[in-house]
Amino acid sequence: MRVKPKSTQFHQGREWGKVALIAAVVIYLALVLLLPTLYVFIGAFSRGISPFFATLTSFDFTQAVRLTALAVGVAVPLNVVFGLCAAWVIARRRFRGRTLLLSIIDLPFSISPIVAGLMLVSLYGRNGLLSNILQFLDIKIIFSFPGIALATMMGGMPFVAREVIPILEEVGTQEEEAAKTLGAGEWQTFWRVTLPSIRWGLFYGVVLTTARAMGEYGAIAVVSSNLIGRSQTLTLYVEEAYRNYDSQSAFAAAVVLAALAGATLVIKEFFERRTRIKNEESLEE
Amino acid sequence: MGEFLTTPKPILLDVRLNYLQNYLQTMTVANTQSTIPPAPKKNWQRFSLPWGITITYLSIILLLPVSALVLRAATLTPGEFWRLATDPVALSTYNITFGTAFVAAAINCMAGTATAWVLVRYDFPFKRVLDAVIDLPFAMPTAVAGITLTTIYSEQGWIGALLAPLGLRVAFTRLGVAVAMVFISVPFVVRSVQPVLQELDHSIEEAAWSLGASHWETTWRVVLPPLIPAILTGTTQAFARAVGEYGSVVLIAANIPYQDLIAPILVFQRLEQNDMAGATAIATVLLVISLVLLLMVNLLQAWRQRYEG
Amino acid sequence: MWLDNWNQWKGKSLKSWIWLFLVAVSLSSVISACSGYGGSSSKKELTFVSYAVTRSAYKKIIPLFVEQWREKTGQTVTFGQSYGGSGSQTRAVIDGLEADIVALALSADTLQIQNAGLIKPGWEKKTPNGDGIVHRSVGVIVTRQGNPKNIKTWNDLARDDVSVVTANPKTSGGARWNYMTLWGNVTQTGGTEKQAQDFVTKVYSNARVLPRDGREATDAFFVQKQGDALINYENEVILAQQQGQNLPYLVPDINISIDSPIAVVDSYVDQRGTREVAEAFVQFLFTPQAQREFAKAGFRPVIPEIAAEFADTYPQISTLFTIQNFGGWNQVTPQFFGDGGIFDNTQANITRR
Repeated sequence: MRVKPKSTQFHQGREWGKVALIAAVVIYLALVLLLPTLYVFIGAFSRGISPFFATLTSFDFTQAVRLTALAVGVAVPLNVVFGLCAAWVIARRRFRGRTLLLSIIDLPFSISPIVAGLMLVSLYGRNGLLSNILQFLDIKIIFSFPGIALATMMGGMPFVAREVIPILEEVGTQEEEAAKTLGAGEWQTFWRVTLPSIRWGLFYGVVLTTARAMGEYGAIAVVSSNLIGRSQTLTLYVEEAYRNYDSQSAFAAAVVLAALAGATLVIKEFFERRTRIKNEESLEE
Repeated sequence: MGEFLTTPKPILLDVRLNYLQNYLQTMTVANTQSTIPPAPKKNWQRFSLPWGITITYLSIILLLPVSALVLRAATLTPGEFWRLATDPVALSTYNITFGTAFVAAAINCMAGTATAWVLVRYDFPFKRVLDAVIDLPFAMPTAVAGITLTTIYSEQGWIGALLAPLGLRVAFTRLGVAVAMVFISVPFVVRSVQPVLQELDHSIEEAAWSLGASHWETTWRVVLPPLIPAILTGTTQAFARAVGEYGSVVLIAANIPYQDLIAPILVFQRLEQNDMAGATAIATVLLVISLVLLLMVNLLQAWRQRYEG
Repeated sequence: MWLDNWNQWKGKSLKSWIWLFLVAVSLSSVISACSGYGGSSSKKELTFVSYAVTRSAYKKIIPLFVEQWREKTGQTVTFGQSYGGSGSQTRAVIDGLEADIVALALSADTLQIQNAGLIKPGWEKKTPNGDGIVHRSVGVIVTRQGNPKNIKTWNDLARDDVSVVTANPKTSGGARWNYMTLWGNVTQTGGTEKQAQDFVTKVYSNARVLPRDGREATDAFFVQKQGDALINYENEVILAQQQGQNLPYLVPDINISIDSPIAVVDSYVDQRGTREVAEAFVQFLFTPQAQREFAKAGFRPVIPEIAAEFADTYPQISTLFTIQNFGGWNQVTPQFFGDGGIFDNTQANITRR
């Protein structure tokens, strides 16, 4: 039997309040998010469906998708590992400078992409801090893939950590300590006790870091050689198309990026539903 | 908790809710206390793998580039640096950047919390679609975001045309900058609050209801407080992101100094002028101010946790 | 008890396996992505760096050159092409982008690369014309349909009832051409520097928006419907027209020659062993074939026969001045666009109003 709040005589009022809140949120999102997205979709198909697919199958576009996927494939797993470690360290220990560490982790949000590019060039560029070492070892970082990877990693660094820390703090250590008393190793505890309890925070973190990695433009524009069909990510492709008055291709690429971002959420939905079914099954037992 | 349930009814609801709040807080304190580990037996145990990974990654990806920038700025004499950093145009850009970002973050704070609430607790048609759309500002290239927002909010655009009769010009004004900043930081607050809201224990709410609290009181005094850290975190991140935004703002703003020119665009201008020193100086100032603000908010959170718990 | 050991061992080794796997994945992606080019002499790689709007022209010219070069030498040349803002490309090359050939929007940018030690002085003389310029353009004024404000010359832009859109010279090297056109409009027709400054200040005070560069200026005018008049370059407007954005434009008779330079980057071609091909490519750009493609894409050709062929598209300018009239970019850049320079004074005067 579910408990209900006392004010049932104001049930009608509460229903209206609920509807009003939903309406307000929808209008806000429409103004700020939905209408712009709609505009992008319309722009992508502005010259018809076949030009849209022509863009999608062109060599330059597919190469851009490949490079973006590569950059995301490198950046996201590393960011996840970092995020989990940092969250563990921050949420499970009290040490001096904890707040400073937290603020430093948040810093990439406020670093403007231009500044980020400037930093990477100051470090790895021809006139940069490490230029002598890099020349000696004949390693190319900027104007090559590693630069793109580094730029992508910097932009999305905080997400996983920031999503997981509050959950770790909220959930507490009781279950972990119980597992330890039962003889579980550190890795086992993490994998089977901690991870399930933080899974939603972790998932949101991964979704966000992936979306951010795909959409990274400013810093990559500075550190990439921007060679068409070779070192262009999807975002650089968009910019290139726009520069050449090819708005339709630009929007088409944006649509693909939006669809990819949406795909990660479809996966989330899938897992959510599976867990719900599992929970309901276990409740019925 | 036992005496709580047997307390006679005449005692004010207020008192009972207070008790419930205190109970919640002691639970958090208990958790906090139990997370402080005993002093390690050997010093090398402190440098566990998570620590190692955290510090290494942080250093390579973030701290090294930041120090490269700072070192470059340090090659300027303090007088030089001060002159470049406090140039009147630069000062106005700091003002415009941080001020507008603050407004955008505040809007996101309220609207974002409402959005997360609606997405987690209510069911309505197209809810899934809405949920999926939230992350778009991250995935969308900033150029496209800029073009789209500018077109929609310009005087002939879908929304701009509705606002024009009211005398509101959005595109090419500071208002447009605010809109762009709101757009690119929508996901922060929503995605910060959503997981916490999802994990929130319903039994606490039901306990409050069983004591006779109204919906509003329960929401305000029992459900919202645990969300405040998440809201604050999300808002801080939204603010930080808004401060650094370049790609979409440069398109929607008129980029006139003293009007709507933001600091990142000023950095770009200095670069175009081949004024590396000026660009570095302003970039460093931006970095330092951002770090200080982030530190302040995080310290506030930590203090709150420690003393109100 | 052995079960505990087994679990512990499994846990530890699982952890290390996952760790190894992640590292391996990342490393292999990194390595595969930055594998170097082959060094055989039957294949050559050229990296070509240019500014944004030239893409449509070079996309046609490059295959022609590749074909010709193969017939002549049997060597296959592949081109890596990069297009972007002129200033950004300049900085990239200086910071380590190994470009073999650079085609930028103004000689000032090429001079920057020269000053960084990557191009030897005298690059201008290596072209058939002896000035290093591969194509030209001029400034134009775009108006609304029917030209309601009746704008005929640069002087009309200083009228009180005209609002102007022009790119910001601080963020766009190319936009500096616009500024110098307006300046020259006064000084090259007998006016004084003071009169020029007043005129330019008036025009820029009529600008409600200063977009980042020519491309965005076009958008601000065409799509966002800002302003009565757009100051832009002829080639940019022709490109927009070819993509369907059609508005009337006029080419004033007093104008500046917007000269786009081309240069081989000595340091990189010697390092990569591509000098012969790179220099051949630059020479190819001055052949009628290549110049015709430039003309078709909106750029004024620099060889007389093609110029004659396209005389209808590109009206003659009676009073044409160049940047040399103002002392060359070496003088103009610091004097006009440096910190505290003439443009900064212009802006300060406007804000004070």
